[in-house]
This record gives sequence, structure tokens and C-alpha cells, in this order.
Amino acid sequence: MKYRIVHKSTYEYRSPVSFGNHVAWLQPRSYPHHVCMRHELEVAPKPAGLDRRVDFFGNTICIFTIDEPHDELEIVARSEVALDEIPSAWPEASPPWERVTEILRTARDPDILDAWQFVFESPRIQPGPEFGAYAAPSFRSGRPLTEAVVDLTARIHKEFHFDAKSTSVRTSADDVLAQRSGVCQDFAHIEVACLRSLGLAARYVSGYVRTSPPPGKPRLVGADASHAWVSVFCPGAGWLDIDPTHNMIPSQSHVTLAWGRDYGDLSPVRGVIVGGRDHELHVAVDMTPVEQEPTENDTKLPIANA
Amino acid sequence: MIPDLLQIPLSDGSTYNELAADGMHLRPHWSPFIESLQGMGSEELARRWERAERRIRENGITYNIYGDPRGVNRPLAIDPLPLLISQEEWRTIETGIIQRAQLLSMILEDIYGERRLVRNGDLPAELLFANPAFLRPLAGVAVPKASYLHLLAVDLARSPDGRWWVLADRTQSPSGTGYALENRTIVSDILPDAFAASNVQRIASFFRAQRDALFGLAKSDNPRAVLLTPGPYNETYFEHSYLARYLGLTLVEGGDLTIRDRRVYLKTVQGLQPVDVILRRVDDGFCDPLELRGDSFLGVAGLVDAVAAGNVVVANALGSGVIESAAIMPFLPRLAAILLGESLSLPSVATWWCGQDYARDWVLEHLDHVVVKPAFPFRGMEPVFGAGLATKEKARIVEKMKARPYEYVAQEQVALSTAPVWDHGHVFPRSLVLRTFVINSGNGWVAMPGGLVRVSSVDGPVVSMQRGGRTKDAWVLCDTPPDPFSMLRPRSQTVQVQRTPTELPSRAADNLFWLGRYAERSECIARLLRCLMTRVRQARRGELSCLLRLHGCFESAHSTLPTGHEPTAHELEDELISLMSDTHRPDSLAANVGEVLRVGGALRERLSNDMSRLIVALSESAAIHDYMLFVEYTAALGGCLELLSAFSGLERENITRGPGWLFMSMGRRLERALYSVRQLRVIASGLDEETWPLLEYLLEVADSSMTYRARYFTTLQPVAVLDLLMSDETNPRSLAFQIAHLADLYGRFPRHSPADLEALERGLALLRGLDLRTIQFPLPGAATPAGGSGVAMLDRTLEEVGVLVLSWAENVSRAYFDHASTWPISVGLW
Repeated sequence: MKYRIVHKSTYEYRSPVSFGNHVAWLQPRSYPHHVCMRHELEVAPKPAGLDRRVDFFGNTICIFTIDEPHDELEIVARSEVALDEIPSAWPEASPPWERVTEILRTARDPDILDAWQFVFESPRIQPGPEFGAYAAPSFRSGRPLTEAVVDLTARIHKEFHFDAKSTSVRTSADDVLAQRSGVCQDFAHIEVACLRSLGLAARYVSGYVRTSPPPGKPRLVGADASHAWVSVFCPGAGWLDIDPTHNMIPSQSHVTLAWGRDYGDLSPVRGVIVGGRDHELHVAVDMTPVEQEPTENDTKLPIANA
Repeated sequence: MIPDLLQIPLSDGSTYNELAADGMHLRPHWSPFIESLQGMGSEELARRWERAERRIRENGITYNIYGDPRGVNRPLAIDPLPLLISQEEWRTIETGIIQRAQLLSMILEDIYGERRLVRNGDLPAELLFANPAFLRPLAGVAVPKASYLHLLAVDLARSPDGRWWVLADRTQSPSGTGYALENRTIVSDILPDAFAASNVQRIASFFRAQRDALFGLAKSDNPRAVLLTPGPYNETYFEHSYLARYLGLTLVEGGDLTIRDRRVYLKTVQGLQPVDVILRRVDDGFCDPLELRGDSFLGVAGLVDAVAAGNVVVANALGSGVIESAAIMPFLPRLAAILLGESLSLPSVATWWCGQDYARDWVLEHLDHVVVKPAFPFRGMEPVFGAGLATKEKARIVEKMKARPYEYVAQEQVALSTAPVWDHGHVFPRSLVLRTFVINSGNGWVAMPGGLVRVSSVDGPVVSMQRGGRTKDAWVLCDTPPDPFSMLRPRSQTVQVQRTPTELPSRAADNLFWLGRYAERSECIARLLRCLMTRVRQARRGELSCLLRLHGCFESAHSTLPTGHEPTAHELEDELISLMSDTHRPDSLAANVGEVLRVGGALRERLSNDMSRLIVALSESAAIHDYMLFVEYTAALGGCLELLSAFSGLERENITRGPGWLFMSMGRRLERALYSVRQLRVIASGLDEETWPLLEYLLEVADSSMTYRARYFTTLQPVAVLDLLMSDETNPRSLAFQIAHLADLYGRFPRHSPADLEALERGLALLRGLDLRTIQFPLPGAATPAGGSGVAMLDRTLEEVGVLVLSWAENVSRAYFDHASTWPISVGLW
């Protein structure tokens, strides 16, 4: 499967911005069976400087500076990603979840040591005891890790209400847990917080889901903007992705941009600007299979607030 | 025997007494010092100390305490009696802290490099992964090795058996070297004989080593180094400005720096200047709002990227705070063996990191004997003394420690040694902590001989500057007289004569401009107030309306005068007191003098000591007390005006004519022009018999009565007053004088805008073009030509001049210090 993705972010400023520094996490990752074939970033106005670096988690970041006055900043990321059709990474059987926490705590193999860092608090995920309490019914004693995680995911999907208006990028995981509503970022944070509060290693993953559904299937929620889901570490099997927003295991309709501890490690675009005062952000994402060339209508991107 | 001077309570033997083991017999290295003190006597010491304390106050040596009612600029509490350390003992300390610096530097290098220590299990991974001070964006970024721990501070305490122990390491931006230097200057100054007799090792060479090390970190031949401060509200801002001046660095705030093409630049009025080295006093996470904490206003957006590109060196390296944690202490002996192949020569105080099961269990069992602290910063937790806990509190902390044990450390409570502290002629033993300093010179480590001693405020175990403790000098004694050393280069070295002005950061230019404005505004307000206050008490009805018109010059939006009826003399009196003393009114004298103090404080490293002292005196003179009699207000005003005159005298006579002076003088001329316009418009709005005395008042306010009398005897005529106060370019208080000088000063600026210069010249031409002879004022008692003639034109001209000058000021602000008023804001994330 091959996808072409156009991710457009537009900042409209109320007063002109004289100078801005920005970092973008907009280049899809490459790893076995998931290869970023092509990626370009168009920024208007034209940046005075644009450089790439690889961050701590292996994501490629792009840093750019704009030093001419502007009322609007438009960032368009165009990517092509090829996915191999492979069997699911999810194993048939997995160790009891308590055993997994024990392995994380004690084993020091490089991959487990790397996973170990995703057990701790991070700037946006500092789970209190209520997260452990919420997760408890799914994590009965001795239950295999994968089974427990699938159950927790299903519960989050069922018990939380998708509501783009109920949260913002500033809403804390605590508030989301209390109000039982939010968007994909919030559900991913909730699940990561639950897993970590049990001593399990969990990553926050950002990416895209397919915009135009396959014939006969409904359009997926969150498809108009960038998406987020969760990855949990299972010794022996590695990192296993799961999407609480759709209650599904990502395979052929998800493309991964970046991963880290929480949203703060990989927010698609962040910046520090001089001037501007208030701003409005419009995000539009279009992800289509490459074989199917976009028609005239498809280029009119739907506009949605992230 | 201990002399009477130092009669101190006997030690009970449970702590180490620095002065005398048994409280009776001096330790030998103290003898010459104590003999010298004895020779001087208690009274003489008290007299000298009083003088020193005045100097501390006047020089603005401060340590700001958060939440202190005295606010910022609290004088630093210094004790005159130094701590004496023998040469032999110092050698042990020096070896120990240098070894520690080497070790900690290697650990940092590994943490931000290969992370071999964590991979091999020699350093628990939690100390990185659970630690918010581990800055992931800096991992794998190569920086000069000598920048990791350019400066390290090690806090030491002495146990009852006489051994020194490490209490804490300060690894990211340690404070105290500047205070140590200032303490040395003050104490050696009041005790010159004792200082000479004791053969004290000098500390100046330490600062030379630091300066050389800083400039040595740069790649370029002619590097520029700056000291990055969080700003005047920081607790140790005094030290930042003091060190910047002493080390020859430009003092900057985050807003003074900008990034272009992955390089750091200093914004100056001369343009952008590249920066090679940043000595930072801003905490790790706050240094870059783009890649570190997005809520920081203190840093430079893009700094991490500039560091990653290798275009700037930050000292200490960003992220060095990761080991500023007691949690690392239990692992140091093993790490010393691995990395240095040595055993640790200075032990750390007994520390348990609860991330290890056995340590956690031990701590939970012995909670009464330890102090529990957060393992990582930013948790907002104060140390908890286990012994003092109520059952309920204890249960709460135990629960927390069990939930996340790796977030806690426990330390043994150390019985600190005591040294004598002088207090109003009496001497008391107080617990002490010695902060020592080590510099990485790039080809070796240099320790400051001595350091900064901090003593507890009361008899107790907690030593904290934030809790009002004091500092002491530490004298390391030599067997032979030490080499005198000065920061100035040796006389034999030839100096290249140069007259190029030092670069002026835009923020400093902005502050200097406002310093000139606030000083002049204070003076204008004080002059108006004095004229009003000396008259309001005896004012008859007619006179009162004159005074009210003059009061109109304040153009106050905060006036307390009633609007419903004609104000009474009493009401005007209250208004004048409010104008003088109400700090909440932005147009009051007190508020503007307060601004002089605030802006002056932010410019400290650029003002002479005389000027700084004058600013402190000025703020004291304007302090009004509720109980003052009305007559005392005028006296206070007089005092305040004298100081303001002294200030403008220094400004004129003692500052080189660089860009800084230009900005300050332009600020002053601008403000005087604005007040002059307001005052002249009182005349231009028309006079009648009742308000005729206004002419006299205005002459007095402009200090021009004598000149007027000499020219015109006593005949008060509006046209003659206008000539003197508006058009006469030889009168330094006339409006034309201000505009002419503004144009002259502004025209000297290399980057001035011709259009803005022309605006000033147009204003001047307007004034020069006014032919006063054609203006007919309706004279009292004389037959009135309808409405006079030319008076309305005069008013319009004055108004226009005012508008021209103000718009000029706005353009100058925008051109030279626009950024200073614009905070960068984070988008996307926060």
C-alpha cells in the first residue's frame, strides 16, 4: 500500500509577525515495512533558514526561521509512504502483564532499557492514582498483556466520547479522564497514562489515518487532521500499536509520523514568534492511496481545527 | 586564651568549633587574626563595620528574597569575621573538589554522549529517564568538553570529627563567586591589618582563569562572550551585573539575543553582533522556549539548534543540571573507580536513593534519622525532616515514597560546624556551610582558594540564603606572603589605544533612554510641585485658581480633585500630597523616582558607583511617611531636587559621549520638551488679571526668574516670558533649546533616519518662525482687542511641536528598541 499525504497548517495572525522560529515534526518515520519514499516541506513566506535534525526518539525534525513580516504562515508537508502488507506484529500469546513490569524493571538488554524510559512521567502525562484505578478492571491479575491492553482500549473507546470542542492542546489528562470526552490526542494520553501508572512502557504516536474510506466503509473520525494513537512494549514482540479512538490495531490505514513520550515531544508544528498576538490555526490533511490519482474535487482540502 | 572580644558560649562537643576545639584555646591558624582583632578592639570594629554596611547599602549589593516585603534590592547580609582555613587543610579540600569536578564532568560527557554508564548499569537509568533535568534535545549533541562544567560549586560541611563532607553539587549555573569577591573586597578593606598579618591567598587569579577559559571556549579569533541573566528580579541579579563587569562580558537578557541562520546574535543599537560564548545564569530548561520549556520568557528561541550546529558555546553546557541531584551521590565512589581509577577523596554526606529497593526499605525504617528530599528538580518539594513529622504527615510521605520511590532521596542530617558571627558587638556561634568553586580552564582545573561561607540566621541546622542567612568571607592562609594579583593586565604589557565605543545592547539603550526620561520627568514634577506646595497653604481665592491652572500641567488622569465643584485649597493640598507620594499613581513623583531606581538597577553594570549611589539616595529622599507635617513635604522636595540636579550633573560631566549617553540625554531633552510644551500652553490658552501671576510661577518652575528680572526688571509681560521660556535658545530650560539639542544629539547617530531628523528640524523651524512681536495679549485693565491676536496661532504651534516630538520618540523607540517591549510568544504547543 502506498499513500500520498498532504498536511497543510495555516496560522492566521491578528497582527503581523516580525520574526518567527519554528520546529516541525512532519516527516513520516521510516522503519521496516513502513518507508517514507518522498517528503517535502513548503513554507510560505519563504524561510530565511531551514535545517533538519534527528531528535532523541529518532524522529526527523525540521527547524526554520522566518524573518520577514507576515500575517499568515502556511506550512505544507507532502509525503509518500509505502507500507508492506505483513501479518500483524501482535503475538498470539504474551506474558502476564505483571511479568512485563518486572522484566522492564530488572532486565537491561538494550531494547528493554530503551523501552524503560517510557514507564516514567513525562511533561504532559503525570498520572495520579485514578489512572491506575481506571485501568484496573482490564488488568486483572495474571492476564496476558496483549489481552489486557485490547480490553483497556475497547473500554476507552466505549466510555469516552469524541468531542472536538471539549478539549484543547492545553487540556490535561486528568481533566480528560474526569470529563470522559476529548479527541484522539486525549484518548492516546489517557491510555498512555493508564499503562504507565501500572509500570508498563507506553509511547505516544502521531500520524495519519486514511481520509477516503475504502468503498463501502465509513469515513474514519479524525481523518481531516493529524491523528494519534498508542504503542505498548511487549518483551519478545517489541512495540505494539493500538488506536483507542477507533478501537483497532493499526495496519494498512495508519501512517506513522513520529513517536515520543507525549504530545509535547512531537507536536506537528511549534514556534516562538515576535508579534502576532492572537492566532487561528487551520489544519487540513489529505491521505489517499497513490494508485488512485486525486481528482479535481479532492484538492479542495477540508478545513478543520486540530 | 580567647579574648573578650570573642567570648563565646562553650561548645558542648557535639559539633566542630572552627575557632577553638574546646571553646577556650584557639586553633593555631587563627592566632595572628585574633591578635590583630584584639589590637583593634571591639568598638573600633563596630565603627568600621557600620561604615562597611553603609557601603553595602549604597553600592546596592543585594540578594533578592522572594516574597520579602522589602522586595527586590535587599542588601546582602555579610558577616565581618572571615572563616579561616589553614593551608594544609585547604590542600585536602582543593584536591577533593577538583577530583569531584573531573568526575562529574566525565559523567555529564557520558550522559549526553554515549550513555555507556547507563547501558552498563553503573548509573541507574531512572536518574536520566525519570529526571526532568535530562534534556533529550541535547543528547548526542557534541559540545566542547570544557563547557560541561565550566564552573562547579561544591557545598561542604564539617562533621564533629573535623572531616569535610560534600552536601551538594551545583552543576548548571552556580551562584556565589561574585558574592565571594565582594565579601573579600569589603572584609579585607575593614580589616587590612588582620588581612596582611594572615597571609591570605588571593582569589583574583581564579577570575582571570575563568575569563580565559570562557574566551577559550570560542572557535573564532576575536570572540564575543556574554553573561545571560534572567533579569533584575532574579535573586542573584547583583552578582550577574557585578561579574559581567568584572569579567568583561556584556550582560544580556534573553530578549537581547536572537538567532539568525543557526547563529546567536546580540541586538545592539549598532546592529546585530555575533555571539560566540554564553555564560548563563538561566536554568537549563528555560534557555530555549522553542525546544525546551515553551513557557519560558528567559531564553533564546533556537538556542539549542545553534548549539547543535556548533555555532555557540553555552557554559555550563545546557543539560548539565541533570546531575545537580543528591540521587547521584551514592554512585560516585563506584563511578570514580570506573572513570578515574581512583577512590573518591571527599566523601558525600550519607545519601540513599530510594530507587534501589534496599535503600528504600532502609530509609522507610529509619525515617526519624534522615532528611527526605526530591531526587529531581521542579517537584516543588521542601526537604522533610523525618524526626519532626506528625504521624499523619509521616504516613503521607511514606505512601508517596512507596508509589514512586525513585523520586526521593534521603540524607543523613549533618551536625554542622560552627564559627563565630559578629552581631552588634557580640559574638555568637553559628552553623556554617562552605561553598567552594572550581573552574575548568580547558587544560586543567582551578579552585578558588576559599569560597563563600553561608551561616544560619539563628542557632539551628538549616543554612539558607532564601531564609535570611548571612555570608562570610573564607580566608585560605599561606605560609608565605602571596603574590598580589589584579584583574588588570600587567603593567609591562602594552595596551592598544582605542576609542571605539563599547557595543550597546538595544535593551540597555532603551533603559538608558528611559532613565533620562524618568529622571527628567521626576525633576519636572518636583519643580511644579514645589511651586504649588509653597503657595497652596496661603492661597487666596484668586491665587487658588492660578494654582489649579498650573496643576493642569500634570495633565493627570489620576487626579483626586473633585470635578463637580471648584476644588478648595484643602482639596488641592491633598491632591499635591497624592501627586508627591502615591506610588500607585504613574504620574506621581514617588512612582517616577521608583522607575529611576528600577531602570537604574537594570543598568547597574553600566552606571558608575557614584551614579548608582545617587539613585539609591534619591529613592530614599522621595520616601514619604504618613506622619509628616505639610511643611516637611516642601523640605523633602528640596532635598529630592538637589539630588536630581546632582544626577543631571553627573550625566553631563562624568559620562563619555558614546551611544549610551546619547540615548540618556535624548530621553532627558524629550521629557523636558514635553513638559515645557504643557507649561507654555497655559500661557497660550489666555490670561486674565486673576491668572496673571502664572507668568511668575512658570518662570520659577523653569528656574528663569533671575534672568527675567535682569532683563526686564519686574514688569511681567507674556511675550517677554514666552521669549525666555520658549524661543531663547541660550536658555537651557527653553523649549527651543530642547528641540535644537534633540536634533543635534539625534543627528550624531550613525543610523538615524533623515525623515525623523527633519521632523525635529521642522519643529524647531516652527518655533523660530513665530514672531512674538505680532502676538497681542489682552492685557489686564487695558482695552482688549477682540480675543487678542496670534494667541490661538501660538497654541496651535505649541501643540504641533508637541505632536512632532512625540511621534519622533515613537519612531526612535521602534527603530532602536522595538523588541524590548515585544515578548516572543510560543505557538502550537503551549
